[in-house]
Amino acid sequence: MNDLSQASLNAFQLLFSGNDDLWEVISLSFGVSFSAILIATPFALVIAFILAFFQFPFRRTLISLFNTFMSVPAVIIGLTLYLILSRSGPLGDLRLLFTSKAMVIGQIMLSFPLLVAMAHASFQSADRRAWETAITLGAAPSRAFFTLMYEVRFGLIAAIVAGFGRVVAEIGCSMMVGGNILHSTRNIPTAIALETSKGEFAQGIALGMVLLVLSLSLNAGVSIFQGKGELQA
Amino acid sequence: MSSLIDYKNISIFLSGHSVLNIDHLAVPAHQCTLLTGKNGSGKTTLLKIMSGLLKPNSCTVHYQGLDLPWKQAKPYIQKDIIYLHQQPYLFDASVADNIAYGLYRAGESKSAAHHKVMQALDWANLTHLAHRSAKQLSGGEKQRVAVTRARILSPRLLLLDEPTASMDSDAKQQTCLLLQRLKSEGVSIMLSSHETHIIEHIADRHLHLENGSLKHIKQATTSGKVTSLNTIKNTP
Repeated sequence: MNDLSQASLNAFQLLFSGNDDLWEVISLSFGVSFSAILIATPFALVIAFILAFFQFPFRRTLISLFNTFMSVPAVIIGLTLYLILSRSGPLGDLRLLFTSKAMVIGQIMLSFPLLVAMAHASFQSADRRAWETAITLGAAPSRAFFTLMYEVRFGLIAAIVAGFGRVVAEIGCSMMVGGNILHSTRNIPTAIALETSKGEFAQGIALGMVLLVLSLSLNAGVSIFQGKGELQA
Repeated sequence: MSSLIDYKNISIFLSGHSVLNIDHLAVPAHQCTLLTGKNGSGKTTLLKIMSGLLKPNSCTVHYQGLDLPWKQAKPYIQKDIIYLHQQPYLFDASVADNIAYGLYRAGESKSAAHHKVMQALDWANLTHLAHRSAKQLSGGEKQRVAVTRARILSPRLLLLDEPTASMDSDAKQQTCLLLQRLKSEGVSIMLSSHETHIIEHIADRHLHLENGSLKHIKQATTSGKVTSLNTIKNTP
């Protein structure tokens, strides 16, 4: 118990003493995850909208596929991407393996099905009259799409937050395609795993606290945002 | 009376069943047409095809001197024709922002749009609702806001689907008053309704939809008076 208390105290000291290595890991982790979500979100929203609003062959199959991929373990995505990006793989010449770009690609692959599935559910629940009203009032389809996104914004923001939560805390994919290289590809989850295996609990706890605070902040933010929406409705 | 727009050979199949099969539908300019028919007779489907929101299996449109297939006519008709749902959809914003929606899409500046919105609210006696959340309005208020939102865009034809359904008598009366004023401003109106006794005094023509075909019940004479007609299948 005393060890745990001491480790937690050391973790606070590490966090607030401005430890360069620690904050480098934190900034890399956030940078990679934000980039992945930023790239994946626009494409996911458009696909989710098309799946919800248009009829075409294999539509239901596609929806089922996205729902299935939502629960694929991160390590499977990591393994697949490793095989593709490794020297002998089809994209080996790009030399992306063990770079932060590979981590971004992995996290895009991880978050994309979740973003599509959750955004699809939001668009599916949207009132079709919103789309028709925007069109009949002279909005171009692209503008009507933004209007519709605004109408279902609470669901879409929840989808983006869930997507971010999935990638920022994943370890399997980042470890496999990033390699956990200090000053290059070490992010919060891989650093926690490494420090814990070395018995350096303070840094592990400090990084864990950052993730916990982030998670609480995101959820609180979404709750406040959704609460405002309920009052207006 | 000259027609504003003509639709020819309208046909649509939904789930493999023929819903509409209309040879010719002429919408007269500056008149109000009442469309009746049983539930499921295709009134909403017809109005949505006319407004460019629903793609028919076949339809030719004669508009502004051009004979065009429905798909090619769609941009023209969407510019001048506005469709209002049975229960109008108001966006999650204030009443004023809802009314300004089409103006912003048309590229109006914020100050010009604000001025027009205030005038439109005044026209509809809705100034007191300007800053209210549109989601909090009653059914009658929503319908009047939707009519005002459509009017501000100066449509040539307004299509309304059951505009007085599920309203109390006062709200019905106020909605009818707005429609009457729109008609007097020269806007052509076509509306579907079961409540013929409420709408009949506004309507110059009465069409009945049955088994996918249109029948004339009443038609205005050149003097504007309404006379009863024998049921004539598929005539404009």
